[in-house]
Amino acid sequence: MSTNIAPAPGSSTIELALKIWRYDAETGEKELKRYEVEAPDWVTLLDVLDIIKDQQDGTLAYRKSCRMMICGSCGMRMDGAAVLACKTRMYDIAKSGHEPVISPMGNLPVLKDLVVNMDPFWGKIRSVKPWLDPGYDEVAEKERIVSQQQMNVIHKEALCIMCGCCVSECNSMESDPEFLGPAALAKGMRFVGDARDHDDVQRLNKYNEEHGIWDCTRCYFCNERCPKGVDPRDAIAKLGAESIKQGIDHDMGAKHAKWFVRSAMTTGWLREEELIPKTQGYISAIRQAKFALGLIKHGKVRPVPVPHVAERVGEARALYNLVKEQGRDGALGIVQGEHALGRIEFTEEAGARENAPEIQPGVEPPPAEG
Amino acid sequence: MALRRVAYYKGCLASLSAKELDSSTQALAPQVGLELVELQAVTCCGAGDIHEAEPDYYLHLNARILAYAEAAGCDTLLTICNVCTLNLRQANWQLKNDDALRQRVSDNLEHVGVPPYSGNVEVRHLLWEIAEGEGYELLKAAAHKGLKGLKVAPFYGCQILRPSKLLGFEDPDRPWSLERIIEACGGEAIDYPAKIKCCGFPIIAAREETALGELIQPIEQAKEAGADALVTPCPLCHLSLDAWQSKLKAATGKDFQMPILHLSQLVGVAAGLEESELKFKRHVVPVTPVLEKLEV
Ligand code: SF4
Ligand code: SF4
Ligand code: SF4
Ligand code: SF4
Ligand code: FES
Repeated sequence: MSTNIAPAPGSSTIELALKIWRYDAETGEKELKRYEVEAPDWVTLLDVLDIIKDQQDGTLAYRKSCRMMICGSCGMRMDGAAVLACKTRMYDIAKSGHEPVISPMGNLPVLKDLVVNMDPFWGKIRSVKPWLDPGYDEVAEKERIVSQQQMNVIHKEALCIMCGCCVSECNSMESDPEFLGPAALAKGMRFVGDARDHDDVQRLNKYNEEHGIWDCTRCYFCNERCPKGVDPRDAIAKLGAESIKQGIDHDMGAKHAKWFVRSAMTTGWLREEELIPKTQGYISAIRQAKFALGLIKHGKVRPVPVPHVAERVGEARALYNLVKEQGRDGALGIVQGEHALGRIEFTEEAGARENAPEIQPGVEPPPAEG
Repeated sequence: MALRRVAYYKGCLASLSAKELDSSTQALAPQVGLELVELQAVTCCGAGDIHEAEPDYYLHLNARILAYAEAAGCDTLLTICNVCTLNLRQANWQLKNDDALRQRVSDNLEHVGVPPYSGNVEVRHLLWEIAEGEGYELLKAAAHKGLKGLKVAPFYGCQILRPSKLLGFEDPDRPWSLERIIEACGGEAIDYPAKIKCCGFPIIAAREETALGELIQPIEQAKEAGADALVTPCPLCHLSLDAWQSKLKAATGKDFQMPILHLSQLVGVAAGLEESELKFKRHVVPVTPVLEKLEV
């Protein structure tokens, strides 16, 4: 392999420096090493690593394959944020003079330099049964047609390339390493939402177990990091909505979510003083009593629930009944918003961009990235 | 100076357990150029919970809040809670950018007697209003009492930063707004890694252990970095950071005693608001050491 990357006609070169955390799991040695590189102005982080490995230090370890954002091999952190190295252009960083720090992804054990052990990741993916269960063995004579509309439901989840970037900064997983995590749960939704799959109830039961969907702390790091627009947190919300629709609501998290719906319909506002008992059951509420007394003392919770009722709350209840009649229950209630949400691009300070090109989930193939 | 009329959505917490956030915001608003039009008929935004339990209902509840803001003749809906901000902005984005969806939701609203929503409201957190532009200039003038170099650790919380495509105010990995406000008030902003992480609130009832594992990080790091207090723009972060410190003590033996301030209280102290407006007595962890340092 040669990495004497020549500048394209008309392009120039840039000079950049970066620091890489070098690590050897066998010796336990760790060192932040600085490298300087001259490269064509169009290079990605992955190209820069290739140049370093080829010309300066052949011992540098990192993963790559496709170089075009489809194999999912090159996840790593730049300045603490998980990125695909092959998707990350270096021009602006080089021009700013900033020297980024490159390190391995988080929440996974490091093997060497930028290479992490993906076994825990694959184990979780496997545990969500990542294959279609059509509910029959014999193939039918006629093909079964699935409409585009049906496939729209899982358009985003199907884009996952299993790179692990979403897992890297998952705050729940940092605290509970057994949490199934964003990638595996998004994969779960990819099958729960598939019109051809006939195993959704078992799947939902499984994802409702401890370390499943109700462990997600809604930090939204996964949505922020995913290089493919999968939005795993939204996939988890869809699984929650599907679970509740199917009556799988034994978990405290599900009860908590349902209680919000009741509060909004009855008083309009959350009744916090009842929230803890409703979700944890009355026995543990007694265990919580001392803590609760502390909160009462400071006016954080009122001792006797006095409903604080919003004006015209009857409207909120009527809306609920109307919406239920219209039958957009479960994941559909989230999927219906994706048409609009797919059009947002982040621009710092300017807020979301209004004139971004329109992408309709599932209606057209997503535009090529990069 | 003419005040700018904005619809004021205080959300559940500021109406109930975090009344100190409401009173300090109301007292501060005119000093930073805002006239708050309080919406009486609105309900809870449903947080991530109704979004997860009944997403279509979540959209309608939020549309109803936006519709009442529009009916009040306001183009801005001011929020003082991260979670409200994300929920309302997410619903608003869907309604503004999908005519068919907005039509259906708006028809439903009218059907039950709510004004229709035509998509002309922007949802903005108080933080953004005072971190730049005219609000920032007024803030600098209002904060005449200063903070005497108080060391303040900014804690953003998740849902004012991520997902950035919905919030879009600042770089979610390198935010600057709280630091800028702390400095403008005469405090010293303390830097520490967990300032952009999660406090664990959404799962504090259902998964206490996991949540406490998150909660300890900002408090411990801020303490080690020498902070006198932590400031947050979110009453849910405030509740877990303030009220659950006793649970952290029970679980880890560490008694941090870290005072936690609402954004409006931090600015309010610098602007010379009274205790009757700041209501520090409502906090679980005493704010007294901070007040002693500031000699108020
Ligand atoms: S996603 Fe499918 S088509 Fe694309 S590179 Fe991989 S195997 Fe080939
Ligand atoms: S959801 Fe996104 S970040 Fe996570 S593994 Fe899939 S493609 Fe990577
Ligand atoms: S939102 Fe949930 S799944 Fe996503 S990174 Fe945060 S805790 Fe993990
Ligand atoms: S964020 Fe929570 S507390 Fe604030 S209004 Fe929404 S549901 Fe109520
Ligand atoms: S090398 Fe394949 S995704 Fe980057």
